Amino acid sequence: MHLAMPARKSSNPPPYATRSTRFPMLRRSRVQAIVLCACAVGAVIFILSQIVGGSERIPSGTPPVVVVTVLDPDGYSKDYINNIKENRMEYAKKHGYATFFPTVTDYDLNGSPNSWARVPAIRHALTKFPHSTYMWYLDQNSLIMNPELTVEGHIMNPKRLEGLMIRDQSIVPPDSVIKTFGHLKGNQVDFVLTQDKDGLAQGSFIIRRGEWSKFFLDTWFDPLYRSYSFQKADTHALEHIVQWHPTILSKLGLIPQRIMNAYSKEDAAGDGIYKDGDLVIRFAGCDKGGRDCAAEAEPFSKQWKTAFRVQ
Amino acid sequence: MSLSRSPSPRPGGGWSSPGLTNPYATVSGRSSPTKTYGVNGGPNTVTWESAKAKSNGVNGYPSFSTQGKGFIKQHMRNLSASLPRFNIGAEKSYAEKEKLGRGRWMLREGTKLAKLRILILKTSRKAKIRFLIVTAFIFMTILFYMTPLHYWWRRSKIFGGGKKFVIILAANQGGGVMEWKGPREWAIERDSVKNKKKYINRWGYDLEIVDMSTKKRYAHEWRESWEKVDTIRNCLRKYPDAEWFWWMDLNTFIMEPSYSLQSHVFNDLAKNTYRDINEYNPLNISHPFPSDHLDPEARSPVGDGKASSINLIVPQDCGGFNLGSFFIKRGAWTDRLLDVWWDPVGYEQKHMEWEHKEQDALEFLYINQPWIRPHTAFIPQRKINSFPEGACSENGNDTQIHYSEKDRDFVVNMAGCEWGRDCWGEMYNFRELSNYLNRTWWERFKEDLVALIWFKITGQKIKI
Repeated sequence: MHLAMPARKSSNPPPYATRSTRFPMLRRSRVQAIVLCACAVGAVIFILSQIVGGSERIPSGTPPVVVVTVLDPDGYSKDYINNIKENRMEYAKKHGYATFFPTVTDYDLNGSPNSWARVPAIRHALTKFPHSTYMWYLDQNSLIMNPELTVEGHIMNPKRLEGLMIRDQSIVPPDSVIKTFGHLKGNQVDFVLTQDKDGLAQGSFIIRRGEWSKFFLDTWFDPLYRSYSFQKADTHALEHIVQWHPTILSKLGLIPQRIMNAYSKEDAAGDGIYKDGDLVIRFAGCDKGGRDCAAEAEPFSKQWKTAFRVQ
Repeated sequence: MSLSRSPSPRPGGGWSSPGLTNPYATVSGRSSPTKTYGVNGGPNTVTWESAKAKSNGVNGYPSFSTQGKGFIKQHMRNLSASLPRFNIGAEKSYAEKEKLGRGRWMLREGTKLAKLRILILKTSRKAKIRFLIVTAFIFMTILFYMTPLHYWWRRSKIFGGGKKFVIILAANQGGGVMEWKGPREWAIERDSVKNKKKYINRWGYDLEIVDMSTKKRYAHEWRESWEKVDTIRNCLRKYPDAEWFWWMDLNTFIMEPSYSLQSHVFNDLAKNTYRDINEYNPLNISHPFPSDHLDPEARSPVGDGKASSINLIVPQDCGGFNLGSFFIKRGAWTDRLLDVWWDPVGYEQKHMEWEHKEQDALEFLYINQPWIRPHTAFIPQRKINSFPEGACSENGNDTQIHYSEKDRDFVVNMAGCEWGRDCWGEMYNFRELSNYLNRTWWERFKEDLVALIWFKITGQKIKI
């Protein structure tokens, strides 16, 4: 039988409407909870995959900075060399950095001047510390004087670096037409360097790890530059490649000399002479012209020791 | 008459009886009356005309006729049928009584359009779909292969991604600055350019023809072939979407235009190239790098071993690298390489030694600068740079070097033909050979079968 109309509902509904029993689990609040849970789980998985999956992950405990000094024990006393080493090591210990002290003879230079050894030395440091971000090359005849200043905070912090960088500066001081870029951002700089009176000063410089650093070091170390008999060997080779190759110039940040490469004598450019509180003092040229590096360094090595011991 | 499902009720009530409506309406599901010719418009409108049409449809011709051979008689029906008729409604929708068309002059069936419409209505759904598919197929074939549009299809990312490849063709090489070109040189250039144009049109690549003679600014410095670097750099800028740049000398000829770069090389880059130069090492380069202070990647014979890290693909001939045909990929690494490739200090010391200029310089960089190696791969020469018999001929025919017709090598590079060999002759022969090898099936049919049979029968050779 077919009824035309559905049965009429009662006008007085029961006081508690019986719950539909078909999907008791899927009440509105539960649905919300389930969705939220799914989102949370997804987020956790995503974060975990980001942490675990990235192949370039830096293991914990990696020193952020490696201080590289190529030692040339020839003609220096053992004490002097040890003093230099100790200076770097204490500084590194204080900030959790690493040190690396290869000697000149470690690298095959094919008879070119010893100063070239710094280039493969940094390449070597990049290999030995494959996760450290910065390689700070500091020449042997120099001392770290201010233990408070860190490489990341004092120099390499992009904001700080942007403030420090000298823009539109001729690479070779008086009249080179090649100038540092004016629009460079701090995080684009992979190579931080100073200038002295004569031109680029590579007694102290910082390189950021990356494909570019390998390219730069390998290019710098090209045998044709070593055999070219540049007057100042690697220094002039560096000036050459910086000026001729824009891919190198575009990564270079020139900073004021006293930030990390203050000189002990008037050899320096302008206000590059060491004042107390500067990070580094360098006895530039002390190995030539009858000067005595150890004697020049003597007063300052007392000073750095007291400065380091104070804390 | 079979129905796929039961007919739906009609608005007027009752059932549509398929057997009683006009026979032209193929019933599939709802049997809607396409046209009824009646006046009363009842559910089962059997009018005189529909009945007549039905009987005509059954018999094919009127069963009996004694009259009407004259023009008017013969064509009367056609004429009158194509005239507008006064329509007294009662069709289609009963819901819309106030139809606009009712009681007006309307076009009836009989116009071409209406006939077409009936034809479409008469064909079954299945047949319609089949017809549509065939039409679409033909249309697509034309669209893809015959119009210039296929060039754009091939360029797009989904249909091949030809946009990613640029061929750089160097014209006026080697003394283009100083020398006049004779008819042979013009012919070589014309053929070579035509060959590449045809190839890029087929696959949707880009072609950049570089006139090396315009680059006079290096000529006074004896730097003639160094501008390769500048040219590539310009192309990097000119084609911002492209990924791989294929440098080709003018004396090259693409023998097999049916090979795409993707299928021939790039789809399986790891298999088509080799990273370890010890596999074929005519220069005796010690590999991997002997120095201890380098990172593991630089000291590994194959770099990181991933195809994605390959930025430069170079073939080697009997004397070392050959830059007559090579690939370079856009990227920071390439920018750096192009930047240091030419350096005045290196040049000053070596320009007397470096007979092959930029090629020797690249070899030198590869030997001495470790950062180059992990991103350089080599490709078996015959993949992209087969030589004719005349080049590298000291040791006779070398299966690694020389062109083989049987293997259908991709590209021939008539390297060194300007020194004592006949460039134009070689180019001509290879062009003809390429045409011969790539005949269409119709040409094959004509030449291999018809002409042969004709020759057997009559003893005469013919050219069809």
